[in-house]
Amino acid sequence: MATDDSLPTSGVKQNPATPAFIAMAAWIVPGLGHLLLRRWARALGFFLATAGLALTGLALRGEVFSSHSQDPFGALGFLADLGSGIFYFVSRIFETAGPDISQASGDYGTRFIAASGIVNLLGVIDAFGIARGRRD
Amino acid sequence: MVFFALLVSVAFACAGSRSIQTRIKYALWCFLLFLAIGVGIAWLMYPLSR
Repeated sequence: MATDDSLPTSGVKQNPATPAFIAMAAWIVPGLGHLLLRRWARALGFFLATAGLALTGLALRGEVFSSHSQDPFGALGFLADLGSGIFYFVSRIFETAGPDISQASGDYGTRFIAASGIVNLLGVIDAFGIARGRRD
Repeated sequence: MVFFALLVSVAFACAGSRSIQTRIKYALWCFLLFLAIGVGIAWLMYPLSR
């Protein structure tokens, strides 16, 4: 039975737009890029990690930064949050109560949400590398 | 901290080319290091809080 990483990626002429499409898919839905590349274990791992971090951060009422931040930290936070793809847009829809700044849990939640974006970006880079044939 | 370390370790293990067994070992190693470094830094910062 073929293992998760035994699929050949070299020696095949591919459309140069495919790695970009895979990267975009990996960004918008965590794990989708790996799913399209038939890397099932990695797809599940990245999805669970990103979803777990994002949903935990929302449950802790962390801050979801917007693109209209007034300071550089807010702008960096926005970029980090945006990395989680669909979870960012869903959180912007469902975050009606705002961040909980009265307790430490709100701070933890903010870090969880930012980490979910960074983890998903790691997945995007991994999927892009596999699609280009640079990685197994 | 434990939950955060667990999820990030899973993500780290998913990246890169390794066998399943190596990935599990790597995830476990990352998880333990996260906890050890987190607790270590907390103890280092403890005198500053007093």
